[in-house]
Amino acid sequence: MSGIELAAWSFPVLLALIFIRVPIGLAMALCGLVGAYFIYGNPLPILNQLKQVTYSTFSNYSLSVIPLFLLMGQFAALGGLSQALFKAAEAWIGHRKGGVAMAAVGACAGFGAICGSSLATAATMGQVALPELKRAGYSGALSTACLAAGGTLGILIPPSVVLVIYAILTEQNIAKLFLAAFIPGILAAIGYMIVIAIYVRVKPDSAGKMEPVPMKERWKLTARTWPVIVIFLAVVGGIYSGLFTPTEGAAVGAFGTGVAAWAAGGLNRRTLGDAILGTALATGMIFMIVLGAGLYNTFLALSQLPQEMAQWVLDLGMNPWLVLATVLVIYLLLGCVMDSLSMILLTIPIFFPMIMGLDFGLTPEETAIWFGILVLIVVEVGLITPPVGMNLFVINNMAKGIPITHTYRGVTPFVVSDLVRTAILAAFPAITLFVLRL
Amino acid sequence: MIAWVFRLSKWSAIAGGILLVMLTLMIVASVSGRALLDLGLGPVPGDFELVEIGTAIAVFFFLPWTYLRGGHASVDIVYTHLPRWGQRAVAIFSDLLMLTLWLALTWRLWEGMLEKREYFESTFILQMPVWWAYALCLVGAVIGCLAYIAKNLIMLGLASYPAGWPVEEAKEH
Repeated sequence: MSGIELAAWSFPVLLALIFIRVPIGLAMALCGLVGAYFIYGNPLPILNQLKQVTYSTFSNYSLSVIPLFLLMGQFAALGGLSQALFKAAEAWIGHRKGGVAMAAVGACAGFGAICGSSLATAATMGQVALPELKRAGYSGALSTACLAAGGTLGILIPPSVVLVIYAILTEQNIAKLFLAAFIPGILAAIGYMIVIAIYVRVKPDSAGKMEPVPMKERWKLTARTWPVIVIFLAVVGGIYSGLFTPTEGAAVGAFGTGVAAWAAGGLNRRTLGDAILGTALATGMIFMIVLGAGLYNTFLALSQLPQEMAQWVLDLGMNPWLVLATVLVIYLLLGCVMDSLSMILLTIPIFFPMIMGLDFGLTPEETAIWFGILVLIVVEVGLITPPVGMNLFVINNMAKGIPITHTYRGVTPFVVSDLVRTAILAAFPAITLFVLRL
Repeated sequence: MIAWVFRLSKWSAIAGGILLVMLTLMIVASVSGRALLDLGLGPVPGDFELVEIGTAIAVFFFLPWTYLRGGHASVDIVYTHLPRWGQRAVAIFSDLLMLTLWLALTWRLWEGMLEKREYFESTFILQMPVWWAYALCLVGAVIGCLAYIAKNLIMLGLASYPAGWPVEEAKEH
């Protein structure tokens, strides 16, 4: 069997393993090792490679940014910053139609600026906003849906763990990707707010009323969010200006949110232990997938499949935009059952060379960044699409007494807004890229 | 014995986390030192190396905990529709695969450590022998082996979860 045939056969095997619930990282590692064994014809090269590969994967400097960003997010949840953000947003727009739900989305966006993970953002903001939404008379469907959707802003708005992985896989500049993600992230927040505005007009009984807050009080509440602004500017600004590496930025951020948590009295032995264990759990998960994907991708590279496939797509002479649309639809479908990081690590080695071989009228770097942002958005849609949208589960678990079917129904318009935004950003690369062209 | 392995995994995760917090502080000190060069301060020597070594060790110490808590990314969609015996069979199968992979990786890590020691390989700036880092990672890897053996014993019905372990939470998302 040729390498290409082997690689082609490895896909169904890999998917079968994944679909019977073998952990994704483990399944990729096994398929990669067995496949490489068949290509080499003897186990020696692999055994030799394995002496180094685990240590060198885990000790990769670029990857060290991930546990630090996760730690930063864990600390951010302890400092009452989510509460401050929500209160400030609510003071400004809470009295409008659907305003409290909009404030929840706005606070999610703010929290996303210091947290690189969607689940953490959804969980943290859910804790703060769900009781308030209930008290203000918002329906269960809208409350849970707006928070699940808002949670995805955690990863759309930099810093973002998924973008870090994409940057490493495709050897792109993390700082530029972060900067490019900023406008699409803001657009996402605005899109969700528009959805809420329409939602409460179509279903007037799904939202309650709130008294406006006096101007002075609004500014006072806004001033309390200063740690978020300072930390965000220090981290993203520092990384972008080249003052420090992404890893250093993440460490500064973790330090900043840690100090904020400590100053707010949220850091004690128990919460520190929980924050550490939460970081350990998520780090272990990500590095296992990274390790598995590394082994699997080594095998794919040996098999020459990615290059051949990119060439094949090029030779077909298909319209680049059609190829792009197909790739994005594949992500949307995969996203219904798989988590975002696994999807990216599994597919980018194949899709990325394919997309880079096509002509979209952009420079290679621009194509890489723009494609990265599009992928980021579509894989995040997977977090709020039934049946396996993790954000939906997280929020629904916290909202006692609201059936998951209500959440499913409530989230549909938000998914539509995601799809519209993806189409717009795909059709007009300049929206994503103009910040970089300044 | 099982309870001891579970506790060990938890403490190893906490130890890894404390190491991560220490790395954070070291990086902040290093960045501040670099910013204050004029005052005669400077970055921590070998800070990049320390981050690399520290992260690797921390990850090895995190992995047993991630596994025991069912934290690894997986796709549940078929699994939830399987009959009970099917779910059990699949879980045993994937636990055995994990154990096999990890035993192999630990064995190779050991060989890798011996090789690094033999060739006196050391880090660029601090001139620290690389096999030291391997040895520390190996501790985490061995704890991983113990954790995966414990999980297999439980799944095969030869042992049971320690009292108070949140089994359902670990399985359902």
